[in-house]
Amino acid sequence: MPNLRDIKRRIRSVKNTQQITKAMKLVAASKLRKAQQAILVARPYAIKIMHVLNHLTARCNLDLHPLLENREGNKVLYLVITSDKGLCGGFNGSVLRRAMREVEANRGKDISFVIAGKKGKEFFRVRPQKILHEYLDWTRDFDYMKADEIADLLAGMFAEKAVDRVYVVYNEFKSVMQQDVVVEQLLPVVPEEMEVGREAGHVVDYIYEPDEETIMEDLVKRYMTVQVYRAFLESSASEHGARMTAMDSATRNAGDMIGGLSLTYNKARQAYITKELIEIVNGAEALKG
Amino acid sequence: MADQLLELSLVTPGRELVADKVDQVNIPASEGDIGILYDHAPIITTLRPGPLSYQKGNETVELVVSGGYAEVTDNRVTILAETAEFAHEVDRQRATVAREKAEKILARADLSEEEFKETQLKLFRAIARLEHTESK
Repeated sequence: MPNLRDIKRRIRSVKNTQQITKAMKLVAASKLRKAQQAILVARPYAIKIMHVLNHLTARCNLDLHPLLENREGNKVLYLVITSDKGLCGGFNGSVLRRAMREVEANRGKDISFVIAGKKGKEFFRVRPQKILHEYLDWTRDFDYMKADEIADLLAGMFAEKAVDRVYVVYNEFKSVMQQDVVVEQLLPVVPEEMEVGREAGHVVDYIYEPDEETIMEDLVKRYMTVQVYRAFLESSASEHGARMTAMDSATRNAGDMIGGLSLTYNKARQAYITKELIEIVNGAEALKG
Repeated sequence: MADQLLELSLVTPGRELVADKVDQVNIPASEGDIGILYDHAPIITTLRPGPLSYQKGNETVELVVSGGYAEVTDNRVTILAETAEFAHEVDRQRATVAREKAEKILARADLSEEEFKETQLKLFRAIARLEHTESK
């Protein structure tokens, strides 16, 4: 028969765990709200930048820009965005698995990585891949300046021809329950055709100050920064969403476990009482006889 | 001409500061300040760190922006700034520290061109913040 005190101790320990997972779920929920807000706020800026870039690409010679140069070459760089903390379900696993699949698919090419997040670092520690740079602890205080710094690094390597292509691998935020891993090309920059905000036949003759080329030069870099920024924001929202879901199911599992343990506990207690009663009755019977 | 208003929107990556209908916008363009009134020709320009202001009725609102673009089309003014703050939000103390730091770095002779440019930009930004909030 299971020991009553042991079961009680287990119940208490599971309850403690449940309290922690519940708290983590609530924290993740509030962080998720903040992260989603950040995405929303960044969106107008990104759309406007795209808008201006689209206007310019129609008028400028694109081949001139170093970040647009589409060259043959087999040096590929992946920026992999993971989280710094665990306990968020399959969040990091799926990104890293995808990254490794890319490695498989591009055998024979010279592949290197830039890693964001401690979890990615841990993953690659036991693997032979080439890591050019690491950004750890980025989740704590991420802002546009940080994105700019990362974009600078990538653009620099690209311009020096140390790499020929740069991709970013991250979790795109679909909903709290669903995050999709996506791989997007960062460099050379491919200006996305815009569906929104481009009215049909609406070509405006702008005055450019100082001139198209100068604006273009600056803009392409900025467009890339915005893309990096967005990838990080998406990843951060996904992380909190994944953690929320994971913690929610952990809380529920703990609840189930407590239910099961309570049942065992009550049964054991009942058996114990019955046994004692039988002993008393038996004793009384024996005395009588 | 109360109905002849410009649609101004000022956004940075972190925040949307202004979305309003206004009478006039004064932009610190890289080639010199420009004032935008109703029916201005379409223009795209880069910004320099400096004061941006707009008028709505009798009210004038002042901001300090740096880096980015301004686009004007169809009486819509879009400012894409790397940083922007309302004048009353500027942290003068921080800007002073930033200026001193940048000046110190610029005084060195071993800077790469990139470092120089970056620090110079920081300096300009700090100066813009300080100069245009002096009276407050």
